[in-house]
Amino acid sequence: MSGGDREVMLALENVSLSYHSSRKSFDHGSHHVLDSVSLQVYEGETLGIIGRNGVGKSTMLRLMAGILAPTSGKVWQRPGKTSSLLTIGLGFRPDLSGRDNAMLAAMLQGASARQARSYLEEIKEFSELGDSFEERVKTYSSGMLARLGFTTALKTHVDILLIDEVLSVGDAQFREKAEAAMKSRISSDQTVVFVSHMEGQVREICNRAVCLYKGAILAEGDPADVLKAYNDIG
Amino acid sequence: MARMALRADASRYLLGYVWWLLEPLLFVAVFYVVFELILDSGRGDFLVFLMCGKLAFIWFSKSVNQASNSIPANKGLIGRINVTKTLFPLSVIQEGLYRQMAVFLLLFSFLFVSGYSPDPTWVYLLPIILVNYLMIVACSFIGAGLVCMVRDFSMIISLGMTFLLFTSGVFWDVRALGDPDKTAMVLALNPLAFILDAYRQVLMHNTAPDWLHLFQIGLGSVALLIIIVLLMRRSSQFLALRALS
Repeated sequence: MSGGDREVMLALENVSLSYHSSRKSFDHGSHHVLDSVSLQVYEGETLGIIGRNGVGKSTMLRLMAGILAPTSGKVWQRPGKTSSLLTIGLGFRPDLSGRDNAMLAAMLQGASARQARSYLEEIKEFSELGDSFEERVKTYSSGMLARLGFTTALKTHVDILLIDEVLSVGDAQFREKAEAAMKSRISSDQTVVFVSHMEGQVREICNRAVCLYKGAILAEGDPADVLKAYNDIG
Repeated sequence: MARMALRADASRYLLGYVWWLLEPLLFVAVFYVVFELILDSGRGDFLVFLMCGKLAFIWFSKSVNQASNSIPANKGLIGRINVTKTLFPLSVIQEGLYRQMAVFLLLFSFLFVSGYSPDPTWVYLLPIILVNYLMIVACSFIGAGLVCMVRDFSMIISLGMTFLLFTSGVFWDVRALGDPDKTAMVLALNPLAFILDAYRQVLMHNTAPDWLHLFQIGLGSVALLIIIVLLMRRSSQFLALRALS
């Protein structure tokens, strides 16, 4: 069921996250997103996370990426490894061009200015944005944003790739290409955690899957079994 | 990392390049119409006086206002990458600094044309500008932290800027209050009034600022800055949660 004797890259130990939504008074405003979740991500595996909207999938990725800290519990990442979270649309500065955004994203993920610049042409080519690459991201369609976001993360080499729904948008042709690129990364031992609504993608790409339900793990293991559990929720 | 963000931000503003100078000048024009043409300030050098104060004031108020809202404004990036949250106010401040350099050049040219020729004492401007900058950074970081915690602070900060506009001697002369005690009090209580006055003393009267006072303001800003940076570093993920929720 697990990654066998492979090393753990990232682990959540009894992680809970809750926050007070500001408008309501104390107890009633407290919102529990995740409740005592434990999970390991192994080196080189592709882990799929499925679940209904608002179940805490994106929050879980943010915890893994170290963007948020858990209210209780521990998030552990193997020392010296880098991770990057990839989400659609958000994350871009709308007034900057696609090129500047790609550069900024690469540098914020720890690349030097020279490294980042060397990725740019590759990003432009793979994303097929053409001249739009030089235009402000404000003018992009959601599909174009997804292309830029996916390509930027794909080409700026990180050890753990955390992907949030990115492959669900974009046209069929780009999706196929992105899936193919993902698969080649997966076979080259990229560690991926992958959130998706698309069952076909999870079944095809992931070695292992987790189903979240009401802030806790409902099922974990072989993608086919987990998808079955997910569909049984109804 | 920060430098990249700054460069990117600067490139964004290249489009509206003319606005760098036009916006502050329009502000000056508005004040000139009200306080000289309508209310009749009664001083011959009012335009020069106004520009020395107003242009520095806009630098402060605009930077602090924008920087205060910079963390929630960048929630897209914050939700994706764990970065030090001081990066966002800092990049706004650097943008403002670039713009202000152009504005200062314009101010100096205007002074020159108006018969205030450059004087060796203008070197005193360097420490004044530095302390002014430190004040901006300290206030911006505090504002950014507060607005990130509770959005409502955004309203209070912009109201505070209006309050400062009226209390810092932008369009009235701190030294012409009639009562020297009152002048001393305003200068002591409001560091911004002191800074604006220091600009005028150097540019218009070739007089050195009160060095001790200037040093105290600078030191106070640095002390505040160190505290707030340490706080923001420690609570980086908490601020992210606040920005995202």
